[in-house]
Amino acid sequence: MVPGRAQVRRRRLLAAAAIPAGMLLLVLASGARAEDSTLAQVPFATPSPLPSLIPGPPPPTPLPHPPEGQTNQCFECHRVVNHRQETIATAWQESIHGKGGVTCADCHGGDPTSDRMGIAMDRTKGFIGSPSRAQTVGICGSCHADPERMRKYNLPTDQYAKYWTSVHGQRLAAATDTQVAICIDCHGSHDIKKASDPTAAVYPPNVPKLCASCHADARKMEPYGIPTDQYEVYSKSVHGVALLENADVRAPSCASCHGSHAAKPPRDTEVVEVCGKCHTATQALFMQSRHAELSTAAPKCWTCHGTHDVAQPSQKLFFHEVRPDHQCNTCHDPVDKSLRIELDQFKNESERRCDTCHHPDSDIYAQVEAIASSLAGAQGAFDSADARIHEAAGVGMIVEDADVTLSEAKTSLIQSQAAVHTTKLTIISATAAEAKAKAENAGTIAQARLDESVFRREAMVVVVALIVLNVVALSLVRRRVERRSRHHGGDAEATVEP
Amino acid sequence: MTADAERTSAPAGAGGWLEQRTRGRALAAALLHVRIPAEARTLYFGGSALFLFGIQVATGTLLALYYKPTPAAAYDSVLYVMSDVSFGWLIRSVHHWAANLMILFVVLHLLRVFFQAAYKYPRELTWVFGIGLFGITMVFGFTGYLLPWDQRAYWATVVGTEIAGFVPVIGEQLLVLLRGGIDVTEATLSRFFGLHVLVLPLALAGLLAVHLTLVHQLGLANPKRPDPRGREPEGRTTPFFPNYILDELIAWYVLLALLVVLASLFPAGLDDKANALETPVGTKPEWYFLAVYEFLKLVPRLVGIMVPIVGLGLLAALPFLDRKPEVLARRRKMAVGVATLVLGGAVALTVRGFLP
Repeated sequence: MVPGRAQVRRRRLLAAAAIPAGMLLLVLASGARAEDSTLAQVPFATPSPLPSLIPGPPPPTPLPHPPEGQTNQCFECHRVVNHRQETIATAWQESIHGKGGVTCADCHGGDPTSDRMGIAMDRTKGFIGSPSRAQTVGICGSCHADPERMRKYNLPTDQYAKYWTSVHGQRLAAATDTQVAICIDCHGSHDIKKASDPTAAVYPPNVPKLCASCHADARKMEPYGIPTDQYEVYSKSVHGVALLENADVRAPSCASCHGSHAAKPPRDTEVVEVCGKCHTATQALFMQSRHAELSTAAPKCWTCHGTHDVAQPSQKLFFHEVRPDHQCNTCHDPVDKSLRIELDQFKNESERRCDTCHHPDSDIYAQVEAIASSLAGAQGAFDSADARIHEAAGVGMIVEDADVTLSEAKTSLIQSQAAVHTTKLTIISATAAEAKAKAENAGTIAQARLDESVFRREAMVVVVALIVLNVVALSLVRRRVERRSRHHGGDAEATVEP
Repeated sequence: MTADAERTSAPAGAGGWLEQRTRGRALAAALLHVRIPAEARTLYFGGSALFLFGIQVATGTLLALYYKPTPAAAYDSVLYVMSDVSFGWLIRSVHHWAANLMILFVVLHLLRVFFQAAYKYPRELTWVFGIGLFGITMVFGFTGYLLPWDQRAYWATVVGTEIAGFVPVIGEQLLVLLRGGIDVTEATLSRFFGLHVLVLPLALAGLLAVHLTLVHQLGLANPKRPDPRGREPEGRTTPFFPNYILDELIAWYVLLALLVVLASLFPAGLDDKANALETPVGTKPEWYFLAVYEFLKLVPRLVGIMVPIVGLGLLAALPFLDRKPEVLARRRKMAVGVATLVLGGAVALTVRGFLP
């Protein structure tokens, strides 16, 4: 059909409006483009656009370490000055540094061999007192970036370099923003503990609270304009519950995805690798999918699962409860018809559905329906078998064989659910069918146990009835014996004379 | 009567044939045709315990046909009995419930004898052998509990043998002797199995034979009046056979019905296979050891372990400590009062043990 004049005019107007809008978007996204062209598509999960990395300063020369065997006069004097100084001295003494021979002078400088303040704390002899926040990173790095010094502790030496690549380090370097986190904010200053010490702030289960101490503080975050609800959201997520409530140290803390010394939110191009660090098998499945092949508007892990609010996946991820009102321009550019999915719309959990992108009239939507249906069938068979096994166990039946079969079904079910990441119906339906068959087998075994339980109860009634008959018969015999004994001269009861 | 005369008076047929070869009639008459005090009230507790022992021997023998006493095979063999052997579930469930009921009825029998003062002259030795039977029954329960080798069995045995290890002076040796080493292992299972199917049945059968012989020789006690010294008791009597035997038989039938109902509605369970590295939550021994277990938690260890041992010793020596002839409970206020207190305490501790 040839388009009418009015229609042609409308299209031209649309194109005219689209060009400046596109230009505007390009300008907004230009900062991000320095590293990743897809960054603008997921503004809710990407860091603020950053310029190229500003190189951090080289690690300074370590302060001179006092000669071995010399008295640490700083400790001897400061622990008796006042309560605060005593607390600091004791904290150092019990710290990993205190136990490892790292003395006050290693960070504060001065002459620890003298008990005279004028000599010990002489700035001309290198005493620096309390180092500034900017200085502190260098002081820590002067030793911790030195492989020779760290060798005997078997510690990595890349923290210093990593720190300067982090958002924290970059802000410190670029904007001399001393409010950003530095080493002592996470590790402590005098009371430094090993990261493997469960009482350390950097022990994995304690990390979310440590990060939240700044990132959940609206006042501290105000200058950066970033949200402060991450901890609250994370603590309710499947990851947060596992780590914080179930103390499962395998579960990820903030540092697992953002990094610790190189802390920075993962980017769209990195997220699959980041999640894949733990979800290795799922990552491999995802890499087989059509989604992984897409260069634009490509869904990634967080498109369906979110970021801080990762929940237990379920069937509901397939479709909206109420079909979304799809318009052509929801997904396609009105001019060139190319895909134009704004991934920002997946920010809300309720929008993380397949039909957010896949239109009900599309072939892919039918495929999603088939995938959902095969998984629902397997899940239904599993739930039914599980209920029957519980019922059988509840009436005292041994259901170990059914349990074993159901465990196998669960493995297949999990495999079929994970296979969704391939987006390939044949793979998913094959594993789902296998899971369903195993679950049905477990259900059959459980049903046999239930039937046997019914038989036992019925047989019990018959046996008890037979016993009652016998008891009645014996009671009659007993009565007859009694009566006959009395009739024959009181044989039943006789009196023994003394 | 001459042997010829006996032969001619013997009944014809198979009975006669057997009589001529066993002369069992006289023995049966001696065993059965005795009289018991008309006022005797046994409540059939002792007879029921005897019946349950018979059930245990029969079902235990059948279970032993399939049971394999090694940690690698024990659990699976029990599972096999429960799942694949025809009526295996019934045999094991009856064995399980009969074990519990046997302990219950032995305790009830002991209490009945105590409250009716039937342990007094001339039945002191009957009582002592009865206490021995009580002890063996408890050990039966303890050793049998481990045999399924599931988590509950394993950890209850760990706890139970640990209690034995608290015995002063010999505790450590006793623990090693029971376990066959420091921990509950294959050696423990072998020992418990050997004790359960060989040593204890023989010991119990031997003591039971003496106990029943004494009961037969001395007759049942009259709860209303003590036996006079040096002469036969007086008062109304009633035939042991068939009158009392018929009553006992009815009691046994009722017990059998109870066993069938319990086994059918609450079949013996099986926890997960024993795992020495995974301690289940809320490990506790079986109900008949719960009072001692709870008592141990409340008092110092030495007191907790010595009180039951001394108590059992005092119980065995009771007829020699309480030598007054009085049998009526209202005239034995001291003995009945102390017993009621101990019993109430044991029940309260057991209930406490069941509470979460």
